[in-house]
Amino acid sequence: MTTNDSTAAHTTPAHTTPAQAQAKEYVHEHAPRLDWHQHAPEVFKAMIRLDAAARKGVDPVILELVKIRASQLNHCALCIDMHSKDALAAGESVERIIQLSAWEESQHFYTAKEVAALELAEAITVLTDGFVPDEVYEKAAALFEEQELTQLIAAITVINAWNRFGVSTRQVPGHYKAGDHK
Amino acid sequence: MSARTTHLDKGVGTAMSALSAAAKKGLGDPVLAELVMIRASQLNACAFCLDMHVDIAVRNGETAKRIALLNAWAEAGEVFSERERAALTLTEAVTVLTDGFVPDEAYEVAAKHFDEAELAHLIGVITVINSWNRLMVSRRIEPGGYAP
Repeated sequence: MTTNDSTAAHTTPAHTTPAQAQAKEYVHEHAPRLDWHQHAPEVFKAMIRLDAAARKGVDPVILELVKIRASQLNHCALCIDMHSKDALAAGESVERIIQLSAWEESQHFYTAKEVAALELAEAITVLTDGFVPDEVYEKAAALFEEQELTQLIAAITVINAWNRFGVSTRQVPGHYKAGDHK
Repeated sequence: MSARTTHLDKGVGTAMSALSAAAKKGLGDPVLAELVMIRASQLNACAFCLDMHVDIAVRNGETAKRIALLNAWAEAGEVFSERERAALTLTEAVTVLTDGFVPDEAYEVAAKHFDEAELAHLIGVITVINSWNRLMVSRRIEPGGYAP
């Protein structure tokens, strides 16, 4: 590590100026494994329609929080890039986004409904470790109306689906601009 | 035991069915699609989905032996073809995302046996069953409710 790195080098690669890029050499950007949108256009269109159906009736603030959290758990770089930018553009705070990866210990950053939604999102995302626990479901069911709750479940399911496409085909983060996919 | 809720928005249900149909049609291999869907449902412990897809597989002519051995397919020798084994490897990697990235080896083995369009739709089928698993497990939809 050199001592003359510019402090501005903490910005993401996509935001670096040519001068910063010279001062600090980033790792080369990888290429996607597969352009799945091009090879399965009907599947992509069906995903867009499913996404639109699932987000109906879900609080847009909660929606972005669960999308970011599920994408963190599933390590979907493209989805984290997209949803953190969309959340910021919609007025979400930087600290609430940063604290999402440790929300259990920073619950006072969030409302009770948001915490219940995050807990549910984790349980539905990590299915392979066991069933969605009764306590988690019941906590969410106490705070969300049935219709709202099943839409939240659908929205968590849909971001898990996007995560699977993004991760398996190794989509590249950094190029998304807020609102591109709205 | 009873379902936590049986409610599912009609628009979501219709969109899910359309997504399933698009992915399966593009893969063009119904026998393989059922193997993939049973294996993912085992990993995600979705009783409803297991009940449904075992039923469909049997009616498609799948054998009891292959269905039973799916849970140990990696050790089952030639019971599954190289192509099926590649698809099952990818299914497991794409289903268990929280332990790490889909490994290059898993992806590359699949890419050897499937062309790009088949591979995109195989990933689609794996993703769709993972989605149904989530919708059924979280609402605790009971097995046995599926009727062909």
